[in-house]
Amino acid sequence: MRAAGVIAGAAILGGGAPAGAQRALTVAPLVSLAEHRVDAGFGVERSLGPILGAVGTLRFGPRLAVAVRAVGGSLFGSTGVIDRDVGELGVEASVVTVPWLALQAGAARRAYSTKLARQTWTLVGFGARARVAFAGDAIHGVWQATLLPAVSASALRGPDMAFRVTTGLEYRIRTTTLGVEYSLERYDFPAEAGVRRLEQLSALTLRLELRLR
Amino acid sequence: MRPLALAAIVATAAISPLAAQGSTAELLGQAHEFYERLEVERALPLLRQVVSPNWPFEVTQEQRVEAYKYLGACLTLAGKRDSAVLYFRAAIERDPFTELDPNLFTPAQLATFGEAQRRTFAVAVRPVASARVDPRTARVTFTIAATHAALVDVKLSTVGAGPPLSLFQGTMVGVREMTWDGLLADRRLAPPGRYALAVAGRSRLTGTSDSARVYFDLRHEVAPLEDTLPGLERRALLPERISPEAARHDVAKGLGVAAAALVIAGAATGDLGGGGRAEADVVAATAAVTGVVAFLVHRRQGAIPENVAANARRRAERDSANASVRGRNADRIAATVLLVSPAAGEGTGP
Repeated sequence: MRAAGVIAGAAILGGGAPAGAQRALTVAPLVSLAEHRVDAGFGVERSLGPILGAVGTLRFGPRLAVAVRAVGGSLFGSTGVIDRDVGELGVEASVVTVPWLALQAGAARRAYSTKLARQTWTLVGFGARARVAFAGDAIHGVWQATLLPAVSASALRGPDMAFRVTTGLEYRIRTTTLGVEYSLERYDFPAEAGVRRLEQLSALTLRLELRLR
Repeated sequence: MRPLALAAIVATAAISPLAAQGSTAELLGQAHEFYERLEVERALPLLRQVVSPNWPFEVTQEQRVEAYKYLGACLTLAGKRDSAVLYFRAAIERDPFTELDPNLFTPAQLATFGEAQRRTFAVAVRPVASARVDPRTARVTFTIAATHAALVDVKLSTVGAGPPLSLFQGTMVGVREMTWDGLLADRRLAPPGRYALAVAGRSRLTGTSDSARVYFDLRHEVAPLEDTLPGLERRALLPERISPEAARHDVAKGLGVAAAALVIAGAATGDLGGGGRAEADVVAATAAVTGVVAFLVHRRQGAIPENVAANARRRAERDSANASVRGRNADRIAATVLLVSPAAGEGTGP
């Protein structure tokens, strides 16, 4: 968490410093309805709740951008499942290769905490984001796939497979962009004592991106 | 003053590059020495030799005119007025610019020369000297001569094209300088090319006519001009209207997002209890509706205001840049300097 905090702080400070003519800073407050599912061999545990946060993006010219993401919320468990809080801080860099495709790489630190225990995750991933304009250029369709090859979670072995996929729409009105996205993260952990742990976090997110300068 | 003038004539003749001309110059020099000593009878044979067809050495036009002039002067002093007039006329016919300096010649010689001028009609124009002329502050100068009072018409024309520009039309006598501002009849700067200056005269004493013509080349010295920006190509502009195909593609894109959301939710949650696809359904429905609405809106109202404005902005920027270029070029053209040089005759010019 400390390292991620330093990275985020540096990025925010960098964005606040006097910038060149090509730089642009956007801030996007977001709200998500997230559902967390875990099957650790005792049946599927589901928890659902709101997550609030924001993404600050600093663009260095038309191709390169660095984004810092900070979110947090509460997931309320279904019957028999303990409620939990979730918080995450991440940083992500993206490079536009062709106008409709950007390559991305990032890292995040996430924490789940219940009244019984606290679990931290470190996620490192890379992927691609396709962004296709509808006629008129005011609406974009978005498809994103990210592989998470380096995931560590406290008290767990790293998953055999982990990925995140996202799809949604962006509506641009002058300098403001409204995004609607569905995202899903999937983690398949290796079997231990004949039990295979599966974990999934899906979310419906509304994001309002405001261009500051 | 006479010895000085004579020395100048001799010196002029003596610098001729040819030895033959040197012989002519020597003879002229001797004749002048006799003339200055008033030994007219000794000067006359020498001068006659110079103008004789049997004189074996080359005689330039200036030397021949000079010889005729001094023959006339000598014969005037010898009291042979009629013969003097004939020789003066011979000098004037060969060079209408011929004059007698009142400080060097006697009143009788001047009177005889005047008689010769009255009997001979000729007009002439001096060859145009090389010059660099800024038409804003200076003028191209031409020198015209008429041996006696005449109605003279001086015209400047481009060789092979365009109507002539009348520089002078009126009565004149003697030598006269005329200036030209470098503009043609349409008040535009004369373009580069070969020009002819034609002088036509009609004597007011005898009614005879004469004409003369010289040629010169005109060039422009102007700072290099800038190119204007080329017209905006189609690919440099954003589409201003949405095509029917693009509108139809909106449906496909919306359905693509919807399908992706449903596939993701369906594939991933199968082994984690299924169901719970509400978030994906919301996005799928939103995307599908967006695609259909976008199609309907774009099909009916195809204009893209942002692109229209952006294209107008680009065109305005280009027009503004071109206006600046044209302004700078106009300033440079306005500062054009005319380079004038003599030419031999008809031709296309530089």
